Amino acid sequence: MHFPVRWSPEWNEERWMGQLLILPMQLLIWFVLIVPMLIVIYLSLVSWQPIMGVDWWQAPFAGLSNYVQALQDQRFLTALGRTMGLVLVAVSLEFLLGLALALFFHQEEFPGKRIVASILLYPMMLPWVVVGLCFYLLFLDKGPVNYILISLFGPDASVQWYQNPLLALMTIALADIWQWTPFMFLVIYSGLGALPPEPVEAAMTLGASRWEIFRYIVFPMLKPVMLIALIIRALEAFKIFDLVYIMTGGGPGTSTESLSLYLYRTGFIYGQLSYAAAMALLVLILIALVARLAVRPLEREL
Amino acid sequence: MPGRAWTSGLTRWGVVLIVILITLAPVVWVLSLSFKPPQEWLAYPPTLIPRQPTLENYLVLFWPGNPVGVVSEMVRTAEPVTRAFINSLIIVPISTALSIVIGFLAAYGISRFGAGGNFLPFSVLTTRMFPPIAFAVPLLVYYRSLGLIDTHLGLILMYTTFTLAFSLWMIKGFIDGIPRHIEEAAILDGASRWRVMFTITLPLIRGGLAAAALFVFIMNWTEFLFALIFTSRFAVTLPVQVSRYAGAVGRYYGPQAALGIVASIPVLIAGYLIQRYLVRAFTFGLVK
Repeated sequence: MHFPVRWSPEWNEERWMGQLLILPMQLLIWFVLIVPMLIVIYLSLVSWQPIMGVDWWQAPFAGLSNYVQALQDQRFLTALGRTMGLVLVAVSLEFLLGLALALFFHQEEFPGKRIVASILLYPMMLPWVVVGLCFYLLFLDKGPVNYILISLFGPDASVQWYQNPLLALMTIALADIWQWTPFMFLVIYSGLGALPPEPVEAAMTLGASRWEIFRYIVFPMLKPVMLIALIIRALEAFKIFDLVYIMTGGGPGTSTESLSLYLYRTGFIYGQLSYAAAMALLVLILIALVARLAVRPLEREL
Repeated sequence: MPGRAWTSGLTRWGVVLIVILITLAPVVWVLSLSFKPPQEWLAYPPTLIPRQPTLENYLVLFWPGNPVGVVSEMVRTAEPVTRAFINSLIIVPISTALSIVIGFLAAYGISRFGAGGNFLPFSVLTTRMFPPIAFAVPLLVYYRSLGLIDTHLGLILMYTTFTLAFSLWMIKGFIDGIPRHIEEAAILDGASRWRVMFTITLPLIRGGLAAAALFVFIMNWTEFLFALIFTSRFAVTLPVQVSRYAGAVGRYYGPQAALGIVASIPVLIAGYLIQRYLVRAFTFGLVK
């Protein structure tokens, strides 16, 4: 950041204009971000529910008991672990599929390539709830997926997807993979297109194999782009709520409940806002730590 | 790596075909469902092309209990989606416009005058980093005190703030791409800085602004969690209506599918228009 002093004789005026320009954004950030963050810290330290009859600023002090409760809450810890597992599985598969597709599109020439590429992109635009609805309808007991299974493997192959915790979780992961593999494809494909051609050409002249070119030339050059895509996608996938809400509602039981869904229920269905605030803060701290670690290799690269 | 054939022609077309099929199949199924009469919703074997195609599923969305057809008989009690549709059409464009205007002003201040230092542009990113549910908890308390629950204004404020990260970083990228000497020339000619900003820089990044606006529009149109928590009757948006419709009409899959299609059309059009900006948009301008 620098002040373009040579730009004009009185930089005070420029500074004033700069401050004025960022003012609306700062006001909004204070209103919807910083003040709420202070409130969430306060809430997590008191014991308050909307039905208690006292106003939230008069709630009794509770110390760290909300945090202690959260760390002993099986449902919270399970939802956290489940969400992280889902992120790990879905995002890795999205990455691998996206990378494979990007390499395929980068290397192959075929008529209609641009059209196919733009068809590939549309799932990202769809509202999450609509993707959830689509996949919910696909995996119904009498839905098309079971029909395909039955016609391939006989009448016993039909599966009750939403009755089994693991299978239900799988349908959610599939929906996420379907919607977001295009994102990985898009970012990596455009990253490939932006690489300078010379190193690859030089390696080819020297007789490097395809794998060697990918492993030692393309992959290292592409690493920053892939890291950015992975970090953004993982943070986004961790928020998962809409798909679970629409497809399984967290069921059967609470066996597919994601972290966001559990927090939503605690705070807004069961009305335990203080407890939800404490859990939310724990999640914020966790994400900040993970993000810090994830950005470190990126800083080295850039 | 051009030149060498990686795969034979047949395999290549096989891959392309499978990819297209998988990408299109879920939505094609829902599209077909949305034109089916009730007896075909769960028909076995399933039909891809409706045997008796009907528009009734779309009709009941806006006019439940209309005198024609069986579906309307089934969903007579459901609330029409008209209100949610209008709400989305009010809330989303207004918050998108606000996000772009505020984002542009701030981006200009940051890009040209270094206002806000290093901290401000990165603090905005935290709005996209953490799960929105974490912000929703305190916002509920706050909004209750201010009477902003279930109002258009309440959602507009949230939607504007939570898309600022996109508009700020995208637009900042476009402004950074405009060489300063163009502006300096105008200053030397005696134009004020405000005038330079609005009459020189702004027109130069018009295309970028439009792309940012369409992207923010998509983000706001598809937002679900805040709308679910902060609206109940008056200000519900379309995604909430999609989820609610599933509950209200139970297993009436036809109208559900139709509503899903209706809710998706605006964002599909917007997305198609900004294809070549999507990488920039999704990565906050970090990848161009």
